[in-house]
Amino acid sequence: MALSKRIIKETQRLAEDAVPGISAVPHDDNLRYFDVTIDGPSQSPYEGGVFKAELFLPDDYPMTPPKIRFLTRIYHPNIDRLGRICLDVLKSNWSPALQIRTILLSIQALLGAPNPDDPLANDVAQAWKQDEQAAIATAREWTEKHAKP
Amino acid sequence: MKFGHVFKETLRNEGFPPEWVDSAISYSQLKKCINRLTDELAQVGLNPSTLGTLLKQVEDYNASTEQNDDQDRPFEYILAGDDSAGLPREHRKPFHPKLLFYVDEATGEVHSAKLDEDTRSKLQMLAVATGVSQLRVYEEPDQQSIASKDSVDPPSPPGGVNSASGIRKRPGYRTVEIPLTSDTEFFAKLTSQLSGLEALQDKEEKRMHAQIEELGKQVAHLTDPDKRLNKKLIPVWRQIFQIYIESGIFFGTTERDHKAHDADKAAQRFLEFSDKIARQGLVEKFKKPESLQALNSFMHVNREILQGLRFGQINHMAMLKILKKFDKQTALGVKSTFPKQIEFPEFSEHLAKAVCAEVNTQVISHVPLLDDYSCPMCMELKWRPVKLRCGHVFCIRCLIVMQTNKQHKCPLCRELTVVDANSANLDLELADFLKKWFPDEVKAKQKYNELMAGIDQYGEVYKEKCNVM
Repeated sequence: MALSKRIIKETQRLAEDAVPGISAVPHDDNLRYFDVTIDGPSQSPYEGGVFKAELFLPDDYPMTPPKIRFLTRIYHPNIDRLGRICLDVLKSNWSPALQIRTILLSIQALLGAPNPDDPLANDVAQAWKQDEQAAIATAREWTEKHAKP
Repeated sequence: MKFGHVFKETLRNEGFPPEWVDSAISYSQLKKCINRLTDELAQVGLNPSTLGTLLKQVEDYNASTEQNDDQDRPFEYILAGDDSAGLPREHRKPFHPKLLFYVDEATGEVHSAKLDEDTRSKLQMLAVATGVSQLRVYEEPDQQSIASKDSVDPPSPPGGVNSASGIRKRPGYRTVEIPLTSDTEFFAKLTSQLSGLEALQDKEEKRMHAQIEELGKQVAHLTDPDKRLNKKLIPVWRQIFQIYIESGIFFGTTERDHKAHDADKAAQRFLEFSDKIARQGLVEKFKKPESLQALNSFMHVNREILQGLRFGQINHMAMLKILKKFDKQTALGVKSTFPKQIEFPEFSEHLAKAVCAEVNTQVISHVPLLDDYSCPMCMELKWRPVKLRCGHVFCIRCLIVMQTNKQHKCPLCRELTVVDANSANLDLELADFLKKWFPDEVKAKQKYNELMAGIDQYGEVYKEKCNVM
């Protein structure tokens, strides 16, 4: 299927007008598949870490949301062991007017504001609710261990 | 190379209008003023090294005791006239700077209040050794204060030089003003030149305003979509303006670069812009002399903004350099306080901003750009445009797909407005506008929409052309 003008434009703008702290580069052999990196937001336990993710645009994008998953291990109540992300705009609240850049920004914001009341990783969410300070310390440890280049 | 030389060369070689060159900061004259001032200071025994050592002694002492108190300075250099800073510029008095020493009334020692005995005596020795003690020669005799010199009370009513307004009173000490004239001359010259620069800027802005307005009329005429002759030229103008906006010549437009550019960067961006339109062969597409002339005057306006930017920048630099020189030659420490008293008329900030805004509203806005009329979903031209009940407009194709997918909410506001959109929602007015300004894009999108409608109806095998042959 030919690449839509929309995907071409988005890819162009991601390269020319990059969002600080976020990168998304398409594969040469599959322009719907992107290598993504997201910098951990400052003043969060993920600060200083660079988190890798993969992003795929399905055939009916933008009518359906992009599929995205973290590749770097991350200790976060809304991200599970497999890197899957629990975020409304990636599922029920997706809108075809959203874009790759806006979604990645939302994910970066999610790192800065974990939401243990709507968990995907149950154990992490529980730890977060029981002892937030300890959970944050663990998240920092994981960042140090997995997300440092 | 010395800055004075560089400044002169730049003024001569950058092709500034003679009127601008005349209004530029006269660096060499100001330099001569400084030289005269150093002579004056030397005559009273205050060469820069003496003043510098005096200052340094005190600063070292402050640093060693981790305090920083101006009260300890043995002398003070006041740029009087700052109390009128709130007044409009033309009412402001010219600077009348004062060099004041604080001298102990009893001993004639140079004042440095919180210094210990040791440092003070060192200072005193230094003062004597370098001839600062001659200061008293200029002291006006004041019977009253001598009479009260033993009392701890605040000193006598001010007399003579003490009466100058805005001078802090220090009990037990007398202020001595060193009579200087070249510094007054220096600041008077500098301030009058700055207001000259400001007047020039106002004038230039008005002139360019008229020029841009004229250019705007020209472009409007050349891109009138109702004239058949213009048809081929509208896309060319559109492309040029699109590249112009993307080049972000005077201001960055991306996330990483969103500030005003300095003259060098703007010049470089402008070069890239002209290269790009040349490479794409856009200039050759203008056959008629009026079109070429309009393009030339568009380029000219931009070059003028660039020149104004550079002129402002180099003058600002000249001002900073001359103040630095002033400090170096006299050790009076004026550079840090001066710019607060009078701001430099910012060509870079002001003229460029105002003129760029005008280029945008008066010239570029005549040609609608594709980005402003593209559908937020497919990012192609919104053809045919459908306006939902919530007021948001999309192309018909994207909305048909949404309705088929049972996606009922508006992509922009999430209101349930997609579900009940029908032919009554077609935005006919916008459709006319798009047909007029983007005929080629409308044609292409129309073809695509028909193809997709066929596929919807007959399945993937549908082709836009009949293949029976």
